[in-house]
Amino acid sequence: MSDTAPVSPGPQARPSGSWLRRAFDRPNVLGPLLAAPAALILLLLLAYPLVLGIWLSLSNAVLGGTPKFVGLANYIQLFHDSTYREAVFYSFFYTICSEGLKLSLGLGLALLLNRRFRGYRLARAIMLLPWVAPTVLSALAWGWLLNPQFSAISWLLMKLGLIHQYIDFLGQIWPARISLIVINMWRGIPYFAMGYLAGLTAIPASLIEAAQIDGAGSWTIFRRITWPLLLPVTTILLSFSTIWTVTDFQLIWTMTRGGPLNATQVFTTLAYQRAINGGSLGQGAAIAISVIPIMLILAIVALRTTREGK
Amino acid sequence: MSDISRRALLQMTAAGALAAGAGIGPVFAEAYKPMLPIEKGASLQLLRWTGFIDADDKQWKANTEAFTKATGVNVTIQDVSWTDIQAKSGLSAQIGSGPDVVMGFYDTPFIYPDKLVDVSDVCTYLEKKYDGFYDVAKSYGYDDKTKTWIAVPMGGPGACVTYRESWLKEAGFDSFPTDFDGMLKAARALKKNNHPIGLALGHAVGDANAWVHTVLWGFGGKQVDENNKVVINSKETHEALKYAKALYETMIPGTGSWLDVNNNQAFLAGQISMTINGISIWYVAKQKFPEMFPDIRTAPVPVGPVGHPTNFNLFSQAFIFKYSKYPNAAKEYLRFMNEAPQVAPWVTGMVGYVTPALKAYSKLPIWTENPNITPYRDVLVGNYADGYAGSPGRAAATALNDFIVVNMFADACAHGASPEDAAKRAEEKLKQIYNA
Amino acid sequence: MKDRAGWRLYLPLGLMLLFLLLPFYWMVLTSLKTRNELLNTPNPWWVFHPSINSFISLLTQTQYPQWFLNTLFVSVGATVLSIVVSFCAAFAIVRLKFRGARVLSTAIFFSYVVPPAILFIPLAAVLVKLHWFDKLWALIPIYATFLVPFCTWLLIGFLRSIPRELEEAALVDGASWPRIMIKVILPLSVPGLISATIFSFTLSWNEYLYALIYMFSSANKTISVGLTTELMRGDVFQWGQLMAGSLLGTLPVVLVYFFFVEYYVAGMSGALKD
Repeated sequence: MSDTAPVSPGPQARPSGSWLRRAFDRPNVLGPLLAAPAALILLLLLAYPLVLGIWLSLSNAVLGGTPKFVGLANYIQLFHDSTYREAVFYSFFYTICSEGLKLSLGLGLALLLNRRFRGYRLARAIMLLPWVAPTVLSALAWGWLLNPQFSAISWLLMKLGLIHQYIDFLGQIWPARISLIVINMWRGIPYFAMGYLAGLTAIPASLIEAAQIDGAGSWTIFRRITWPLLLPVTTILLSFSTIWTVTDFQLIWTMTRGGPLNATQVFTTLAYQRAINGGSLGQGAAIAISVIPIMLILAIVALRTTREGK
Repeated sequence: MSDISRRALLQMTAAGALAAGAGIGPVFAEAYKPMLPIEKGASLQLLRWTGFIDADDKQWKANTEAFTKATGVNVTIQDVSWTDIQAKSGLSAQIGSGPDVVMGFYDTPFIYPDKLVDVSDVCTYLEKKYDGFYDVAKSYGYDDKTKTWIAVPMGGPGACVTYRESWLKEAGFDSFPTDFDGMLKAARALKKNNHPIGLALGHAVGDANAWVHTVLWGFGGKQVDENNKVVINSKETHEALKYAKALYETMIPGTGSWLDVNNNQAFLAGQISMTINGISIWYVAKQKFPEMFPDIRTAPVPVGPVGHPTNFNLFSQAFIFKYSKYPNAAKEYLRFMNEAPQVAPWVTGMVGYVTPALKAYSKLPIWTENPNITPYRDVLVGNYADGYAGSPGRAAATALNDFIVVNMFADACAHGASPEDAAKRAEEKLKQIYNA
Repeated sequence: MKDRAGWRLYLPLGLMLLFLLLPFYWMVLTSLKTRNELLNTPNPWWVFHPSINSFISLLTQTQYPQWFLNTLFVSVGATVLSIVVSFCAAFAIVRLKFRGARVLSTAIFFSYVVPPAILFIPLAAVLVKLHWFDKLWALIPIYATFLVPFCTWLLIGFLRSIPRELEEAALVDGASWPRIMIKVILPLSVPGLISATIFSFTLSWNEYLYALIYMFSSANKTISVGLTTELMRGDVFQWGQLMAGSLLGTLPVVLVYFFFVEYYVAGMSGALKD
């Protein structure tokens, strides 16, 4: 028995049989064996392409050409590229704002849904819709709702006398930036609400009851008990969601293609635009790879927090 | 006119007439003889854009079936929406696997010219037989550096003025003006009657690029000179931007976000009086909007101070990847599809949505069948390629796909920048791209 | 026990659900509208001349049923593969604690930071070497690349919450590890597996980029790819059919969720407990 095994039952208890059966019973044999498929898939289809991608970003690769190593030239060029700077700015802005909103509204929704009222099952299922619908198509539907000519939202506000002219949601810099954040938030709320709902279910009811008996108000209970207990969930939900938001492509590409001007350009749209449409594969790869350090920091923070929580 | 082209014309007139009568006409496959030895057991994969109107795909498919019947070569057609072509074709170039033939747009073949089969024989043959290619078509297929054809020019979904006749008359114009000044006057008069015009200023690959380039070039501005030196920040550009700004004042609010679908929808909803677009608006109205249809007219895009047309169109060409196992079959396919018996019913079926790259096809009867189709016949005359006056290639493609010129116009029109500032910003970005 | 729910519950909840449902209401309207009504209407919030033509033409004139089956096949395949692989990995990491388990779990977590929107070109090179191009089933292992990290993480969390005493008892009784995995741990992991399943299924169902890029034949299209490539015609979109297709593609999944949502919450809850 290896010393890393969790328990060390007496050897007399182990099953006998062929060496194969005995081998399978050893954690140090069975463990790697069971983990192998996952490792294989990730190595072959993720790690290897990633290494290739890094190599491309360090080369002058163009679509269809033979790449030559150019060191950090692509990255240095990005540093002077004003469009890239705009993309960096909006990527951060987009991610921070939409994550913040998703988190708070998702939590709010979870708190509401964490009760057994009439129709709570239906409400929980409906809530998931935005997350289930194909992004491209829900983006198209949103495109109609925010259309400068056909927006049903503008129409309603006009009828209510709140505005005098249809709102130009996607044609002006800040409205466009904010609109995309709202749509991203719309798509992500169910994920947070779901996660938080699970997190809330895991909190022992006795804890809350005890606090109530002590006379604590609901805000105090939330701040002192619920929220601290939800922190580990928050970290995990946030880290995965952030990764999705940063790597999100469909939504922006369908709705604005990075416009107006370059106001809604993000890492992925710019990388795609440069590498695929413009053919500068090396530069596109550099844009894409430049995200990874940021993501790594996030991942490390997330990992630290969850491990310390134990 | 040479003997061949007269005969060709006769053929296509017949085919065109038939096609006009019976929807999809029969294809004269019997008359066809391959020029090149077609590989044994050849089969082809074609990647093309989903037709902008359904008659396009239908006739294309019928023509392809005729090719299969004539040669025994099976052709599988893969449709992708036109903005996704670049991704799939670029990937194929990179990994050396995928469709044999691709119909791409703009500069696509010049991004990876050395991955493509030399199609000079096909192009020279077509050029001779059908009165040559338009200049702009040639620049999208002929590689000046190697003096070879790397793609067979197919044609351009043309951009023309589409407008409401009654509203224009009401504003005091009998026909659509033919120069920029007149267009601005008409637009102002229309606006006064509460019938604004609408031109896309968002990242609309087709519509936004088309009109802003026309205006830029119409004033004599250009992004780079013949040696690919950036010359965008010029007096001509400033004038163009000022003009565009004035035109923008007459537009319906919100064109800053318009993608390619928006002007079609706004027009068909009766919200705008004029736009610059392919024939799709007229075509859809013909089928679905019977009340509005009789009032819709089309006209050539007006001419700027330079005194000649400076159109910019979407343009599609077909190219063959070197990894293809059946280059001869692919070449034969492209030749076949560009021959009169196929082109005539194809263009007729889609009422001239794609204006063919070969000049002889301007004589097809469909162009004069309805006066609203006629302007689309000549869209390739006096048309420049993207990246004008520089050479096609990666830099031009990057500039186009980064929407440098569109953004410059949007900046000056919709986002409050002065023409000088907008041009300067564009200059910086272009320098980055062209000096890389 | 049901809460007494007053306006303080229903008002914010109603507003929230309204916001979440708004685009779907729009989809329903659009799928029932004719092109004419879509563009010219006295009230965009209602449909005055409903017509189910879009649904009929979608089902009869396009290959939508085929796309639906393709999506189902790929999603089920990718989900099953990812769940099996992830469960094995999670079991090995949590319960067996073999040498290198910690390194592996960290690596799996980090592998999630790789953005798929960009790596499709290098990945394509791998697929060509494997001759996996334009094979519908190839999407199954490809999707696993983004499903396995999340599922493994989720199941690691869940498995940790299962008391160790159970397997200790089984070990004392002489059960082998493979037997413990299947007979003891697996049944207890069902809620966790369900939530991982739902998660994987949704992500596979909606995946777009890989399906668009790596599949060439029309017969291999998935719902979102088929709809966007064949119904968005240049500058004329078939709005009715697009929205009808989107609804028909979403509702089955929601229906499944309606029945499994409680397990999903319970499963996630287990995974998050420790």
